Amino acid sequence: MNPSEVPLRPPSNVEVPTPDSQVTTHEVEQVERALIDASTRLPVLFFYGSAILWLLLGTLLAGITSWKLHAPDLLANWSWLTWGRIRPAHMNVMVYGWASMAGIGTAIWLMARLCRTTLRHPLLLIAGGAFWNLGVLLGVGGILAGDSTGFEWLEFPPYATTVLFIAYSLVVSWALLMFRFRRGDSIYITQWYLLGAFLWFPWVYGATQVMLFIAPVQGVMQSAVTWWFANNLLFLWFGAIGLGTAYYMIPKVIGRPVYSYHLAAIGFWTYAFFASWTGMQRLVDGPFPAWMITASIAATILTIIPVATVGLNHHMTMQGYFGLLRYSPTLRFTVFGAISYTVFSLFGVLISLRSVERYLDFTQASIAYSHMGLYAFFTMVMFGSMYYIVPRLVGREWRYAALIKLHFWSSTYGVGLMVLMLIAAGIAQGSALNDPSLSFIEGLEYVPMYLRGRSLSGLLLTIAHLIFAFHFGLMLFGLGRTASMPTFLNPQEEEAVKEHI
Amino acid sequence: MNENAPERRVRQGMDYGEDSDVHQVHAAIQREKREPRVGLEPLSIWLIAVYGLAIFFGGAYLGRFSGNFSGDSLDPALIPQPKTHGPSGPGGEQTTELSQADRGKKIFSANCAVCHQPNGLGAAGQGYPPLAGSEYVNGGTRRLGMIVLKGLQGPLTVKGQSFGAAVMQPWDKTLSDAKIADVLTYIRQEWGNKGGPVATAQIAGLRKELASHPDSFVEADLKAVPEDAELPGGEPAGAKPAEAKSPAPAPPK
Repeated sequence: MNPSEVPLRPPSNVEVPTPDSQVTTHEVEQVERALIDASTRLPVLFFYGSAILWLLLGTLLAGITSWKLHAPDLLANWSWLTWGRIRPAHMNVMVYGWASMAGIGTAIWLMARLCRTTLRHPLLLIAGGAFWNLGVLLGVGGILAGDSTGFEWLEFPPYATTVLFIAYSLVVSWALLMFRFRRGDSIYITQWYLLGAFLWFPWVYGATQVMLFIAPVQGVMQSAVTWWFANNLLFLWFGAIGLGTAYYMIPKVIGRPVYSYHLAAIGFWTYAFFASWTGMQRLVDGPFPAWMITASIAATILTIIPVATVGLNHHMTMQGYFGLLRYSPTLRFTVFGAISYTVFSLFGVLISLRSVERYLDFTQASIAYSHMGLYAFFTMVMFGSMYYIVPRLVGREWRYAALIKLHFWSSTYGVGLMVLMLIAAGIAQGSALNDPSLSFIEGLEYVPMYLRGRSLSGLLLTIAHLIFAFHFGLMLFGLGRTASMPTFLNPQEEEAVKEHI
Repeated sequence: MNENAPERRVRQGMDYGEDSDVHQVHAAIQREKREPRVGLEPLSIWLIAVYGLAIFFGGAYLGRFSGNFSGDSLDPALIPQPKTHGPSGPGGEQTTELSQADRGKKIFSANCAVCHQPNGLGAAGQGYPPLAGSEYVNGGTRRLGMIVLKGLQGPLTVKGQSFGAAVMQPWDKTLSDAKIADVLTYIRQEWGNKGGPVATAQIAGLRKELASHPDSFVEADLKAVPEDAELPGGEPAGAKPAEAKSPAPAPPK
């Protein structure tokens, strides 16, 4: 939409809600939003579209990875499809292709909205997105060709990393520029988190690249660096974007202020302070000075503070509005993600304790942990934000409420089943590994039945992703609805929604 | 999507495209609630209690399992010990209060117990011979010192049972003289073994003697040394110095 086409008056047949300001202010705000949305349309849709393509590829790779664990002969004759390459390819596609690109898309839109500034030169941001795609493509190709570096979540070979860095600097400078030219005097909570994420990512990623590849640290310290990286990418990059998005979507959809500024501030700063200390808890009983590991465990325990604070803040904001979860897709996905964040963090505290980690380290339980963080929390929040943002960018409503519902339930049951299966497998595996009367291979015999269950859950997730990609495609090609009402999950009950408000 | 705007009711379904009145400012933007604001509710006392608990628990954990914040402590529950700078030589950092056999026990669990097992019975299935009751352990110190310093490979008969699947690595690069003396003293007195103690100087002497010996011993090299040959400089003077003078067994091959 050309910004000049935006009319200065809303169409007469629509009642304009006027909460507490004059009609004129409200109209100005509407036009401003329309201009901002129009300016972010292409880059955000580009990032979203790429992210969803990567999501489909990552799901395929995940299926092969999971299947190979209980059917090891599958595709074993092609070296580039062996487990040792497919698994890192799956993880990196999900981390850098899907989650990062979806996160950046949402972050750009939120930043523009909250800074009340249009995105200038959106084509440069699209170039950033294209470079990002190229980086991920090179990286995944490199992994499959056998060029993996062998460090978890950092398997991309150096040439791909370089391209990613160029892409990231384009993206981050745009985000920072928007913040620099913001209007209005208050900085909203979401902006804290997004700004933090955009500055933390180069720190976490850059420091790790230097310490592993440019000037490598010695010996076992490399695994300390790797675990610090993996944990902090999850906390400081995905965690910050996810929490920031939830802080926007929940109050926005229910139309009520966030419960407390004080809680938000405490939650943010303690998160920033404690999260960056974590990571070494994965090295329990490894050849490291005990204090290093214990410091990380203590920091993980202290992340209870931000988790409880943010959780309470969201809960109190939602208080009295939980009924809306029946209708709003955005709210449903976002709240599910926010609750998962609490569960994920508390599970993280539990498995970091030495006595528990001793049993669950090196088992499937740590896979459960990363899926709780990256899927049940982050991915669900991203789905929620896409359900909110995409209609505003394409000027259409989501076509089928039934597809959204199906997406939600397949995702929810899929990730729930996956996490339960992996935790159960982890407990069985851990107790067998710790039983000296069982040999290693005997211990493994308990695991395949859970892994089959996990593959089944992957099937559910595949269905969810295909549905979402199809629905998104409809929106992209202008096949959404042009109604003035949004797509409710339970349309026949919309009277109830109004009475509720 | 903001579903709660008080708008006229439109049935959901196949109405897309039929509606000729496409709004120019997209309806989603019109019905949208204003950008989120922040309330100023105070902190609940219960939340502060949760903070206190988390800080207490985290701090207690740090104190309990920090290994005394020592850079070389892998043991999370290490209890602080007063440092005594005795003339204990290399390898005797904080261990001056311990007896030689106790020090040997620590070295044994860290280096030897993986194969020879904490109970000294070895693991016959994987080819690790026992130390408990072994004629090599209970006999003279010379053979024992040779085995530990330079390692052992090939078939070997211990307590009438033959071994040979596993290889013992040389320890002369890894363990100091004092540590080898400690661990030999320990295995010669543990599990009902009846050997005498081994002194650091004895190992030092043997190390010098074997310095030019290139690789691991085989059983034949050990058989070439009398079973009760002792290293010179040991406490029990019953050793036969004459035998110790004999040149080191010829290198195999």
